[in-house]
Amino acid sequence: MSAVLEARDLVAGYGGLTVLREVSVSVDPSEVVVVLGANGAGKSTLLSALSGQLPLTGGQLLVDGTPVRNARPDVMLAKGVSLVPQGRGTLTGLSVMDNLRLGAVTRKDKAEVGTDIDRWFTVFPRLAERRDQVAGTLSGGEQQMLAVARAMMSRPRLLLCDEISLGLAPVVVQELFVTLAEVNRELGTALLLVEQNAELALEIASRVYLLEVGEVGASGSAESFRDDNSIRAAYLGY
Amino acid sequence: MDIFLSRLFAGTTSGAVYVLIALCLVMVFRSSSTINFAQGEFALFTSYVTWWLAGKGVNIWLAVVPAILIGFLMGALAERWLVRPVRKRDETAVLIVGLALFTGLNGLSGWIWGSDEKPFPRMLPTGEDTYIDIAGARLHYDTILIVAIMAAVVAGLTLFFNKTSIGLQMRAVATNPDSAALCGVRVGRVLTLSWGMSAAVGALAGPLLVPLVPPGQLGLSSMFPVLIFATAAALLGGLDSIKGAVVGGLALGIGLAMVNGYVTFLGGSMSLTSALVVIVAVLLVKPTGLFGARRLERV
Ligand SMILES: Nc1ncnc2c1ncn2[C@@H]1O[C@H](COP(=O)(O)OP(=O)(O)OP(=O)(O)O)[C@@H](O)[C@H]1O
Ligand SMILES: [Mg+2]
Repeated sequence: MSAVLEARDLVAGYGGLTVLREVSVSVDPSEVVVVLGANGAGKSTLLSALSGQLPLTGGQLLVDGTPVRNARPDVMLAKGVSLVPQGRGTLTGLSVMDNLRLGAVTRKDKAEVGTDIDRWFTVFPRLAERRDQVAGTLSGGEQQMLAVARAMMSRPRLLLCDEISLGLAPVVVQELFVTLAEVNRELGTALLLVEQNAELALEIASRVYLLEVGEVGASGSAESFRDDNSIRAAYLGY
Repeated sequence: MDIFLSRLFAGTTSGAVYVLIALCLVMVFRSSSTINFAQGEFALFTSYVTWWLAGKGVNIWLAVVPAILIGFLMGALAERWLVRPVRKRDETAVLIVGLALFTGLNGLSGWIWGSDEKPFPRMLPTGEDTYIDIAGARLHYDTILIVAIMAAVVAGLTLFFNKTSIGLQMRAVATNPDSAALCGVRVGRVLTLSWGMSAAVGALAGPLLVPLVPPGQLGLSSMFPVLIFATAAALLGGLDSIKGAVVGGLALGIGLAMVNGYVTFLGGSMSLTSALVVIVAVLLVKPTGLFGARRLERV
């Protein structure tokens, strides 16, 4: 069985600045993987590259074992890789409904889009109540729910989440993680989570990558990471 | 009363003209965040095409159709092969390209069709009795037609933006191109389409407005004043708002008709100056315009 998404020796950056230096990660179908790392380690850059947003200067992406030629966001979405970007990935000027519809533009089965919107309204009833509200006027938590629902509207096989807990109250974060765990269990969607809130992420993840200034410093099972004292000290703070 | 109504009708006529060209500017601004200074010259070129076809005996209403198609292609090609390549490098370069297009298209029109003024066929017959008498004021069929076509264009665009998938994608690109791309929107295609649609609307507007704007004939300088008025209208209403273009265009048209009518010491030729005053005033006082969300950050 090949990985939903495999990154081999990714090199990427901004202009002259190389941020990722030969980073290799992979996610198997229905697997939950977490990427930990300090601020500025390149976590967002990694997800940006995986989603086709940031052009690669080296290495390659493979979906189901097949190399992706021109990784653009629409191409990666069509192959089943969807990103919830850091800091509320919604279109703030559009309504909740329009955001969800937009999440489905790459889909061929237009007839089922309405059914999916209804499903996400059941998962997040607060979005249903605000379906005609402009996304920019939602609360932070509601926007993050919308960002997740929007990213799920493309029916991805792998959901990349960049710090979706950032700036949210602990209860809301807890709710979001429960939802993510359900998505993973019920729909079989694989998850790649970048998190500062390592404790929660480690609870639902099975594997961990540690990103240190643009390189994979360590990787292993989530269990071994929870038990590792030095990692606990660095990322869990106890 | 009849004088007031006459001025109101005259103002509405020119207002509708400004609305149509302002809509073109708005469509481009929403997607590319630039004012396309060549917008008027696109319309000029396609108006010549319409005129030329009409001269060959084609019915003027039919002659507009190929002009609209040519307009669409010109707008789309200009975005894809001129604007986009320089945009990556430099924002001010986009302005230069706009100016180059402006002079280039004007020169091309002159080279093909000559610089003399062309009598332009009307889309509606005009004569002694082509108006409705309202309290002594004449409401010409011309006015009714251009207002009706403007209303149809606005309704069509509103439906397009709100009810179709590609319209939704255009609105998404207008608010945030990066987020739109992450949703799978092919931003480049949307930009090309926006420019094409914008020039197509201009191609429809050209033959309607040429007979209504002094001197009523088609010449190389026909579109420049219209562009200035339309820019003022779009700025007034808000550069990213369809509703703004409508309100701004009509307000400007009617407002200037009243000012020129009642404040006679300004003289008719002061209209263009008034339009420039409106542009400067809006930029100073309310850069987002009446209904807009985004301001003009660079020209
Ligand atoms: N658009 C950009 N242009 C230039 N440099 C950037 C850009 N985005 C990020 N960088 C740089 O790349 C490096 C990695 O940034 P990145 O956002 O990937 O870190 P991160 O691990 O996500 O950090 P955080 O935990 O703070 O979100 C940083 O040094 C940052 O300054
Ligand atoms: Mg980050």
